Amino acid sequence: MTLLSVEDVYQSYGEEQVLKGVSFEMEQGDVDVLMGPSGSGKSTMLRCINRLTDVDSGDIWLNDTHVTAPETDVNELRQNVGMVFQDFNLFAHLTALENITLGLKRVRGMDPEAARERAHEHLEQVGLSDQAGAYPAELSGGQKQRVGIARALAMEPKLLLFDEPTSALDPELVGDVVTVMQDLAAAGMTMLVVSHELGFARSAADDIHFLDEGRVVESGPPEQLFEQPEHDRTAAFLSGLESGER
Amino acid sequence: MSAEEPSAVEEVSVAAGVETDRPWALLALAVFWGWLAVRWVNDFLLPEAIAFPRDQPFVPVEPVAAAADYLGSVAASLGPVGAPVDVLAGLAGFVAGSLPHLPALARGAWLTIVLTVGGMALGFVLAVPLSVGRVYGGRGLRWLSLSYTELVRGTPLLAQLFVLYFGLPLTQVIRELPGVGAGPIPAQAFWVAVIGFTLNSAAYQAEYIRSALESVDAGQLTAARAVGLSRTEGIRYVVLPQGLRYAIPGWSNELVYLIKYSSLAAFITVRELFFQAEAIANDTFRYTELFLLAALFYLALVISASVFMSWVEARTTIPGIGGRRRA
Repeated sequence: MTLLSVEDVYQSYGEEQVLKGVSFEMEQGDVDVLMGPSGSGKSTMLRCINRLTDVDSGDIWLNDTHVTAPETDVNELRQNVGMVFQDFNLFAHLTALENITLGLKRVRGMDPEAARERAHEHLEQVGLSDQAGAYPAELSGGQKQRVGIARALAMEPKLLLFDEPTSALDPELVGDVVTVMQDLAAAGMTMLVVSHELGFARSAADDIHFLDEGRVVESGPPEQLFEQPEHDRTAAFLSGLESGER
Repeated sequence: MSAEEPSAVEEVSVAAGVETDRPWALLALAVFWGWLAVRWVNDFLLPEAIAFPRDQPFVPVEPVAAAADYLGSVAASLGPVGAPVDVLAGLAGFVAGSLPHLPALARGAWLTIVLTVGGMALGFVLAVPLSVGRVYGGRGLRWLSLSYTELVRGTPLLAQLFVLYFGLPLTQVIRELPGVGAGPIPAQAFWVAVIGFTLNSAAYQAEYIRSALESVDAGQLTAARAVGLSRTEGIRYVVLPQGLRYAIPGWSNELVYLIKYSSLAAFITVRELFFQAEAIANDTFRYTELFLLAALFYLALVISASVFMSWVEARTTIPGIGGRRRA
């Protein structure tokens, strides 16, 4: 069943055209990775899907919700689309647990006790039960990002967006976050991930979409893109990543 | 040791830091507030029959005056060597001269405190929407909020009080309200002053809060929106709790200013601390002593305010946000 469908999306910031007709589809349970040089429009693409950014033209559908229609309730949409940020964006004045319960209480309308219970379950899922009472400033980058993932998961979204989840992390902390993401992928979560983490892409991605200058240059399963890319741009970019050993 | 424990210990030391910094000031403040409280209860609440006579100091004047006289004569007999004793005699004389006026000043201090605290609290209620409108509002709201703050901050507080008191029919309206001026409830001038300080303080507080809101990372609101909170909810539950913590130092400043600016209420006949001191000085011609005494009252109030705000800051500090002792 098609969960997400992106159809010919254009987007610009002022004069600058960022997305120039992007289209792709994701099935329920798919894990897709967006790759491409900086400025190619990957993050903008993600932000269009939960309406943090509005498209100029084109359509995005999440199941039968017309995401890009002006009358769509964005707050309701965002309950179904979780997002994990590059620089975590944990609520700085709330503990790890409270970061998760805020949305459950204020958006989902859960009572505080039930919200705490669910938050604890998700902290356990990301291996941070013992940090429930810690404030973001007391956590390492990897721990922060895992709380960020738990915060998004707790809302039980249909689709989880990751915006370069590991690129602000020290190299030795990347592993923990990638492991959590791999577990999620294995559990059947539908995930759209902007990342240059090759290990994750190889092991978990169903499809990789290679973006350049606002267009999808090439899409396909990892083995195809890594072993026999059709386009020179793709080949050059991916071999550049591999030689950088990221 | 669990992860929470070190931070709890640190929290306590921050709170205790307030006290160990200035033990003598705290002791003096305790005496000051203890005396004020007893004075107010006695003068305002206790029935005349069982109360200590109002307008009479708790400490009898005569022994202090006698001590001052005695020290003066000792100093005179010692000649030039007696200068230090002479200073003591002068101090005792100041105390003896001040004692009879303390009850009136305590009454004035009550109004000063209520004016300041009322103006701050009500001003805060206005300042939050003003600053939020300024930072997150549309063009119209931003303009409205900016105009208000600039108008208020750009004109003298005294002029504002005069407009409210003499220029507008505000006093007549307030006079008609039930209870105003009856018993312990102050007359209309006081309420005009509360309105004036509220409107004035709101503008200054809005500026402090605005800059604090602007220092909250934009990603915080983005994350709140991404979770599904509306913009208003994001501001309410994520941006404001952080911004208001950042605003505390500026806010302490405003409180200290307002304590002293509240003396301007004397010019619209509010019988607060400065009014009382001036009235007594006019009667007794002891201007220097009375204004010095009033200055000591203001000093005690200001130090109390800064101790209180340090306590608030320590109480609301969260790792990573606010607090002076954490990086």
